[in-house]
Amino acid sequence: MSSSNNNNNKYCEEEEEEDIFYGRRNNKKKRMFEIEAFKHKVVVDPKYGDKTWMILEHAINQIYNHNASHLSFEQLYRNAYNMVLHKFGETLYTGLISTMTSHLTAMSQCIENTHGEMFLEELNSKWTDHNKALHMIRDILMYMDRTYIPSNRKTPVHELGLSLWTENVIHLSGIQTRLRTTLLQLIHKERTGQVVNRGLMKNIIKMLSDLGPLVYQVDFEIPFLEASGEFYKVESQNFIECCECGEYLQKADRRLQEEIDRVSHYLDTKSESKIVHVVEKEMIENHMTRLVHMENSGLVKMLVDDKYEDLRRIYNLFHRVPNGHVTIRDVMTSYLRETGKQLVTDPEKLKDPVEFVQCLLDKKDKYDEIISLSFSNDKTFQNALNSSFEYFINLNPRSPEYISLFVDDKLRKGSKGVSEDDVEVVFDKVMMLFRYLHEKDVFEKYYKQHLAKRLLAGKDVSDDAERSLVLKLKTECGYQFTSKLEGMFTDIKTSQDTMEGFYSTHGTDLGDGPTLAVQVLTTGSWPTQSCVACNLPTELLSLCDKFRSYYLGIHSGRKLSWQTNMGTADLKANFGKGQKHELTVSTYQMCVLMLFNNADQITYKEIEQATEIPSLDLKRCLQSMACVKGKNVLKKEPMSKDIEEEDVFLVNDKFTSKFYKVKIGTVVAQKESEPEKVETRQRVDEDRKPQIEAAIVRIMKARKVLDHNNIISEVAKQLQPRFLANPSEIKKRIESLIEREFLERDASDRKLYKYLA
Amino acid sequence: MTDNLRITMTDLDDIDLSPADFLHPLFKKKVPHGDVFEASRAGDITRLTYLLESGINVNARDQWDSVALYYACLAGHLDAVKLLLENGAICSEHTFDGDRCHYAALNLKVRKLLKAFEARPPPLGPLAGDLREMFLGCLVNRSCLELVDGESQFTGDVSTGAPSPGSFPPDVTFYIHGRPIEAHRVILSARSPYLKKKFQTDWKTRKEIKFSKEKLSYPAFYSLIHFFYSDRLEIAVDDMEDLARICKVCKCESLQRIIEKEVTHQKYADYKSLQDLDNSQRRYILQGSSLPEEDRLPAALSRLLNVSLDNSIKEEKCDDTVPRIEGLKLSEFEDDLADVCIKVDDKIFRCHQVILASRSEYFKTRLSRMEDFREGKDGLPDYNLPVLEERDLSMEAFEKMIEYMYTDSLKDIDPDQAEEMFDAASRYLLFPLKRAVADALLPHLENVPPSELCHWLILSDLYGVLKIREYCLDIIASNFETFADTREFRTMLLTLPPPSGDSSLRTTIPNAPGAEMKMTEGNILDDLREKWLEVEAGELDKRDEDVLLFDKRLEMLMLVAEKEQSAE
Repeated sequence: MSSSNNNNNKYCEEEEEEDIFYGRRNNKKKRMFEIEAFKHKVVVDPKYGDKTWMILEHAINQIYNHNASHLSFEQLYRNAYNMVLHKFGETLYTGLISTMTSHLTAMSQCIENTHGEMFLEELNSKWTDHNKALHMIRDILMYMDRTYIPSNRKTPVHELGLSLWTENVIHLSGIQTRLRTTLLQLIHKERTGQVVNRGLMKNIIKMLSDLGPLVYQVDFEIPFLEASGEFYKVESQNFIECCECGEYLQKADRRLQEEIDRVSHYLDTKSESKIVHVVEKEMIENHMTRLVHMENSGLVKMLVDDKYEDLRRIYNLFHRVPNGHVTIRDVMTSYLRETGKQLVTDPEKLKDPVEFVQCLLDKKDKYDEIISLSFSNDKTFQNALNSSFEYFINLNPRSPEYISLFVDDKLRKGSKGVSEDDVEVVFDKVMMLFRYLHEKDVFEKYYKQHLAKRLLAGKDVSDDAERSLVLKLKTECGYQFTSKLEGMFTDIKTSQDTMEGFYSTHGTDLGDGPTLAVQVLTTGSWPTQSCVACNLPTELLSLCDKFRSYYLGIHSGRKLSWQTNMGTADLKANFGKGQKHELTVSTYQMCVLMLFNNADQITYKEIEQATEIPSLDLKRCLQSMACVKGKNVLKKEPMSKDIEEEDVFLVNDKFTSKFYKVKIGTVVAQKESEPEKVETRQRVDEDRKPQIEAAIVRIMKARKVLDHNNIISEVAKQLQPRFLANPSEIKKRIESLIEREFLERDASDRKLYKYLA
Repeated sequence: MTDNLRITMTDLDDIDLSPADFLHPLFKKKVPHGDVFEASRAGDITRLTYLLESGINVNARDQWDSVALYYACLAGHLDAVKLLLENGAICSEHTFDGDRCHYAALNLKVRKLLKAFEARPPPLGPLAGDLREMFLGCLVNRSCLELVDGESQFTGDVSTGAPSPGSFPPDVTFYIHGRPIEAHRVILSARSPYLKKKFQTDWKTRKEIKFSKEKLSYPAFYSLIHFFYSDRLEIAVDDMEDLARICKVCKCESLQRIIEKEVTHQKYADYKSLQDLDNSQRRYILQGSSLPEEDRLPAALSRLLNVSLDNSIKEEKCDDTVPRIEGLKLSEFEDDLADVCIKVDDKIFRCHQVILASRSEYFKTRLSRMEDFREGKDGLPDYNLPVLEERDLSMEAFEKMIEYMYTDSLKDIDPDQAEEMFDAASRYLLFPLKRAVADALLPHLENVPPSELCHWLILSDLYGVLKIREYCLDIIASNFETFADTREFRTMLLTLPPPSGDSSLRTTIPNAPGAEMKMTEGNILDDLREKWLEVEAGELDKRDEDVLLFDKRLEMLMLVAEKEQSAE
């Protein structure tokens, strides 16, 4: 510090105040600091600090009185700077506090004295004043802010101004509670639909949050949240008493939106999550179960009526609260299981397999729609849906059969007016159902039977549709599952080739006799029933023998056996009035009809003897020819519905038909009859045995030693894609394997099995 | 250098390397005549320091395409690596040189060091640093930077439009394909002759300038503007050809040459990245030090300053209070682009708001407060620029000060001026200026009489010039008796606050790191005692006795001083 200039009019009162300390520097005197400098102490006028502070205090007062435009920033800053530089920082700082405090006290007086509505306005305008003044003061005292304050660990000017405001205005007992209640009242007003001055609210709340998070929380946020909780508790109670579920949710949604809106308009953004949480808790969480189970309008009702809009709302709202979705999902699942169970056990529905499967598909569609439209394709909901379907579809042991029948129906009826794409869609849906099945091997069994019938009857609409379905099954269950099905297709194909070959070699020497079409079916691929071959008419026998010798000539080492129960025949018949018809009949029927070439009247016994058709089949085939109206090419004595042993048959000369071709179907139950069902079941069980054994051996080969429980669980796991293995059955298989010395029990621990290689 | 040292000492804490790592155990080859590459490879710190101080370009490549840092990393000279990094060597990832250095690092310690420096703000001079902050202070620019960094975050600040505290309002906005960049005319004019001409002619009154040419790419232009402010270019390799074109238009020739050369280099460059990187990630970083001196930021602003100074009017100290400024001069003056006048003493300086504001918080506040206070309203008649008056300051000192503000350097400081400069530096919150003045002053102090040294001690304590204060205390402590015999010293003792008797305040470990920080407001005599103890005192137990001894001695001296005073 140069003191060289103290001889320069130092405290020249008549000049401007700002020059109290320094005179203007004169450069020529600069060189003088040397030795004289220390003769006079560096300490200046002891009153310097006070005097300068007077100037600054005056300036601060002016600033608070809006007279700042008469002040010189440069001068004030310089004075403040010099004060701090010459260690009067303390004076300056304490002076600042007391001056500001006095101004704030005056302000708070003004604010307290306002009445009613004006309170907030006054508070706001005073706050704006203070804030503006504070910024100016901070700028003037910038040097102090930068040097004195950090080194003395004081509060910076701006923060000081804020905390003084809090202390002297906001936390004044006359103001604090009044402010709080006013704000809460205004918000309440707005909630009840009145218009409030949002701009003012915004300013006041901005002020509180500027004063620090603590002030904002204590003076506004916490009471605000409490009041909101109270408000919504009452409101939600009122709503729930008088509203339907959908309506209530709409209201809750609107309230939620209002609160978010409010936050964006005049609250601190950090409050958003908190207030939203309050609304969620009061309006949704507390009434969750009641809402869902509301009579006539709850979730179940929405599901039944396909109220996508309401469902979406409930989904979105419940998403906000813990366990919200779980609640919805549980209700949906239990409802689904309930209705599904009713469906699959409904005896009415069970009468028509196609109808039954169609119902399942419709149900699935409905819920898929709901999940995609309202539940935003939520994975957990999809899983819930799947598990519910899996649960009730398997409640009915006949589901595999029905699904296969449904497919059969679709394929038979064919794509009459239905495009291939639509068929694909249906099949995709069927595959969904198929996935739910536990006993996939049962399905396979039925499917094979139905496919065989379609193939042999040449009825399949399109090879493409058949093959695409097989392909789907293949992708679903693997090669093994469909290899036999594919074998069936190949058989049909090769058979055509074989027949062409047969006729090109033997065509000439066959003459006018009957035409033969043989389909050679590989044993094992087809669901053949071991059947007694019937006696074919003599006209055919020679032809058949020729084919047999032709076929065995090409393929040596094969064995052919005739499956007469699966064939068909086209017969040309002349009736009484010279009417000619072509009759499409089964092989059995053909055999029977051929007998009438040699006789007019034959008894049942005679037919049975001549043809050696099993009596059950024979009865069916006679029934179809004698008892069905429009197809009755035979007459029966006596004319009763059922075929008796003593019945006599003769050709119905009066047979007429509009068509030249007449197809005579066998009376055959589409659905399996009880004994057949048992039989299929037995065969399925029989087929499962080697599969279970194979699985056991595979596992044991890898593990060498394993205990009983683990084997059971691993086998069940391995076989799951095909069927659910029964533990007791697995146990039986294990025992059988032990007998055959594939496995042995451990000598010490009976529960352990060892693999014997 | 001491100042530098202190920073690095504290920095070591957070990069998790012990100081011992830097004490190199290996033999150091000395390469007294080697270039920077040899010195880096050898780890010859002495030579390297010398070279760096002589102002070589630390990021230059040798004939093998390698930079000095690469050799230092390869050889594992941790201290050399640090030295180079502190002097602005580039080690950023995804740059050709940076990746090579990371890749070549001998061990994890070197890599750690590189990482630590990479995470730091770029080493810029105070001027470039301040201007960079000013540029990024413009909200629009910062949001762009964030976009570039991949964190798109348009927060509510943009919508409220409140200028962030660090910014000074820009006076021109460029829109390139609709994306804005805010800038200050002065800076752009100083850096590019083309832009200067444009601002004087076509764009004279325009606040917004829109470009929609296909060829002008936003990232390249942004990088260039950023470079104008900070003297540091950071650009994706993909944008470099665009940049070269822009440079050509803007007539930034030396930059254009470097960029073009680099474009060809990048074509064949083999990146040694630790991870795979695609082309768009590659960056190129250029420090101002790679450019010829006259094309760097300080030189550009110095030219600007010289023009302004030439235009500044020295008022004749005549009695008439109305300054005589002829109207005809107004138009002539436009070429300096000044937008504010500062009246100091008798002279009116034509200055640039953006530079004053970015260098000094005082000026920033002052300029933005022109509305609220009296200033700015009583501008001089016939004069369309606002005029601010600074008192208690000589125009010579002010001229020096703005010289520093514009150029970051001080030429020939008169020791007599030093005091006033200290005053100005602290008053205008230009703390780096204090250091610069102190550096200029130190050589002078070596041959001043003890009496004057006491004066400097008082001064440096008052203005918080640590370097000088420390120096004086050292001298006094080591020559205590000489000073005790000086009358000025004794007189000074009387003016100082007494030393604290509390021994707990004393540091028992002399010169602990961070001790200097406390001295800002510390008691001079306490510090002097510490220094004295360091020089004179014995160990542990004896130390306390010596303390008492010293205090006694001081008391005695003060008594003498009092007697002397009363005798007068």
